[in-house]
Amino acid sequence: MSLRFKLLLIALSTLALPAAGWLFVRQMEELLRQGQEQTLIASARALARSLNALNAELPPAGNALYVHRAPSHITVDGYGGDWSSLRPYTQYLGPAADAEKLSMLLSNDDEGIYMLVTVRDATRTRVDARDQRAMTSDHLILTLQREDLTRRYLIASGAPGHFDALTLTDATDNALPTVLDGVWQENGSGYTIEMRMPRAQMPDRLSIASYDAETATETSSELMPLLTLSTQLSDELSQFVAEGMRARILTGDGWVIATAGTLASPPAQPVARRRWLENFVYRHLLAPSLIEAADFSVELPRLNATEIWQALSGVTSTAWHRTAADSGVVLAAAVPLKSQGEVRGALLLEQASETLPLLTNRALLSVATASLFALFVAGGILFMFSSVLSLRIRRLRDAADRALRNSGSVDTAAMPLTDSRDELGDLARSFSGLLDEVSAYTDYLRTLASKLSHELQTPLAIVKSSLDNLDHQSLPDAAQPYVERARGGAERLGAIVRAMSQANGMERAIGGAEAEDFDLTAVVRGCIDSYRPIIAPRRLESELPTSPLIMHGAPELIAQALDKLVDNARSFAPDDGWIRIALHALDDGAELTVANSGPLLPDTMQDRLFDSLVSLRPSTQRAAETPHLGLGLYVVRLIASAHRGAASARNLGDGSGVEFRLLLRSMPRRPLA
Amino acid sequence: MGRNIAIVEDEPSIRANYVEALTRFGYQVAGYGSRPEASRAFNTRFPELVIIDVGLGDEPDGGFELCRELRAKSPTLPILFLTARDSDFDVISGLRLGADDYLTKDVSLHHLAARISALFRRLDALSKPSSKETVVEHGPLKLEAERMRVTWNNEEVPLTVTEFWMVHTLVRFPGHVKNRDQLMREAQVVVDDATITSHIKRIRKKFIAIDANFDAIETVHGVGYRWKP
Repeated sequence: MSLRFKLLLIALSTLALPAAGWLFVRQMEELLRQGQEQTLIASARALARSLNALNAELPPAGNALYVHRAPSHITVDGYGGDWSSLRPYTQYLGPAADAEKLSMLLSNDDEGIYMLVTVRDATRTRVDARDQRAMTSDHLILTLQREDLTRRYLIASGAPGHFDALTLTDATDNALPTVLDGVWQENGSGYTIEMRMPRAQMPDRLSIASYDAETATETSSELMPLLTLSTQLSDELSQFVAEGMRARILTGDGWVIATAGTLASPPAQPVARRRWLENFVYRHLLAPSLIEAADFSVELPRLNATEIWQALSGVTSTAWHRTAADSGVVLAAAVPLKSQGEVRGALLLEQASETLPLLTNRALLSVATASLFALFVAGGILFMFSSVLSLRIRRLRDAADRALRNSGSVDTAAMPLTDSRDELGDLARSFSGLLDEVSAYTDYLRTLASKLSHELQTPLAIVKSSLDNLDHQSLPDAAQPYVERARGGAERLGAIVRAMSQANGMERAIGGAEAEDFDLTAVVRGCIDSYRPIIAPRRLESELPTSPLIMHGAPELIAQALDKLVDNARSFAPDDGWIRIALHALDDGAELTVANSGPLLPDTMQDRLFDSLVSLRPSTQRAAETPHLGLGLYVVRLIASAHRGAASARNLGDGSGVEFRLLLRSMPRRPLA
Repeated sequence: MGRNIAIVEDEPSIRANYVEALTRFGYQVAGYGSRPEASRAFNTRFPELVIIDVGLGDEPDGGFELCRELRAKSPTLPILFLTARDSDFDVISGLRLGADDYLTKDVSLHHLAARISALFRRLDALSKPSSKETVVEHGPLKLEAERMRVTWNNEEVPLTVTEFWMVHTLVRFPGHVKNRDQLMREAQVVVDDATITSHIKRIRKKFIAIDANFDAIETVHGVGYRWKP
């Protein structure tokens, strides 16, 4: 992984910025919400107190029957088909163990009150109301009360269809219906009656009892007040409700008995798509815990939400829910309505908070924009920085590579960055120092041979001149062989010293060589001719171009290099082997190869063979004849590089021998001075 | 009485060996260990031939200095450099200062003696009329073997003894290729190939200094050199 990529990864840490911003915005939203909650609770409490002060009629304590607004025109037919939308609000009046034994629904429209009573009774004892056995057969007793007047009705029917209810008490006062009629329907599990009474004769309280003849038990409800959405209370409430708020008064069971005000409708949004995005962001990132709007719908006759029940148990609470249009949030605060320390109901105050999402969205947006910008800026800066850094490091690396690539010698010329004052500068300076030392050491090694030869020459001269003098002394014959041996040793030592200084001399010779135009083919051909007697009995093969190959260079140096290569090949090729000298013209120079059938080179040595003081000759061979210090091929390389070429060695592909390759190009022409 | 030779050499063993050997060859030899010592001695008695080491004790170039002094006093005094320093630069410096030859220390005493006698012969020949000399003439080249003098178009070519012997070797059989070993043998030196090459190069330069079109010494690559017939 490159440094730049790593630094880019690190730049990703700036993503912490938007995360922190998001958390911050959430917290801010939370605070804003709390503030609004407190305000709304305060308003709700004030409203509750105002209602109290006004002595507004609070919902009655205890159980009550709720009279719904009829959803549509109700046909009294006993089947209750028109009531389907109200079914969920069916009030069960049976005993705790079997609440569904007796249930009823009430509703009203402008004309009258409708009543749907369902009794579960699979064992029917049918008899008409006017029958004497009516009181011991299955029947219903309906009790209506209006102000002081109470009237009881007996409802029974021998067969499904219309029935008349029999008043059990006197029926003179017209305040309550004197006659009740309705329709009775039965099915396998029980019976249903549907009745209608005029609106003017609407009772205040109602109780119903059913008698099951089978078990001779009566299931009865207490006399419960009738509740309905009160216009009067709504009007009173509306006086206190501020613009854009909605207030509802709920009974202890959660029935809505008064409603006032409307929520501020959201302003028209021109850019719907953006709204959608903002909503999405708000819902999922900022306020994921919103209650569905349906729980607080204004059409509901009864609210069933945790907040309501908390308020009804005496605890003020708040809730956030969506608006019906799903374009904003609504804050609902529920406070208990108390009368003489007793919770009688709850006041639900709602306020649309269109601005809250907008505000938080905007905050989030700006935080996101800012941090995105910061991310880009930081990323860009880091990228540039890392680019510069890796560029510098690469320059340093390239310089280090370059310094050592110059085979054999160390180029300490230009190490970049040594002037910069940071760690890379330190590194560059260290590198530079290191290379200087390596260079000094390399130079030392390179000049070691010539220095050594220089130093050895004086003692060698002493030995040789002493031996020369000794010749003229009358030595006993027995001493002669020793003198001869000493002379032989001195000669060899002299040869070694000469060979050692040769490389140095060669470098000077190359430096002083004057380039001329010459025909390389002719030079090589001349050399080959002179090699024949030396190489015999080995086979000498040659491959020369037919046309002259004119080069600009030092022919005697090239001839010397060829000498070295041939001498090398000769000493390695067995007597029955072969030596092949080939010259090929290249586009920009020439390729001279000398191959021989000698032993193969070890892989590791192929590159080092041309270094100074490297020799692969077996030590036995080294000790014999002329000494080999591994300088011959070094001289070859010097000559090749003087001709802007290179020297290399490799084993032949078919394993039959070794090939030394010399690449030569024309020397640069010196301007005529 | 033998000829008078001075050896200026800071290494006592070599000095003693050379003094003894040359004495045996019949010369009167005096050895000096340093430049001041030699200078003092030369003020009282001037030698007929001087062998100088380049590096003298504390003076790395003391030999050159001494050579200059001596050459100033006598333009004909044969001066031989005998040194361990064999770089081209040193050779050229020494020869430029007027030395008659420049030998490295690995030369054998025989070779050294041969050179000394050759130098003395030349000295004698110069003082005698040149009537009975063996003269080799080849085109513009005139080579007087005894005087070790070479002229090209009647202009003298200032060759050292070694160089003269090499030219002599080449000119004796014009057209014959002389390889490096032969040249080395004839010039009584033991050097490496590169030194032969630089000797030939110097010889060519000396001729070219007189005649820019000189190309009589031909290189036969891989073999040696020959005098163009």
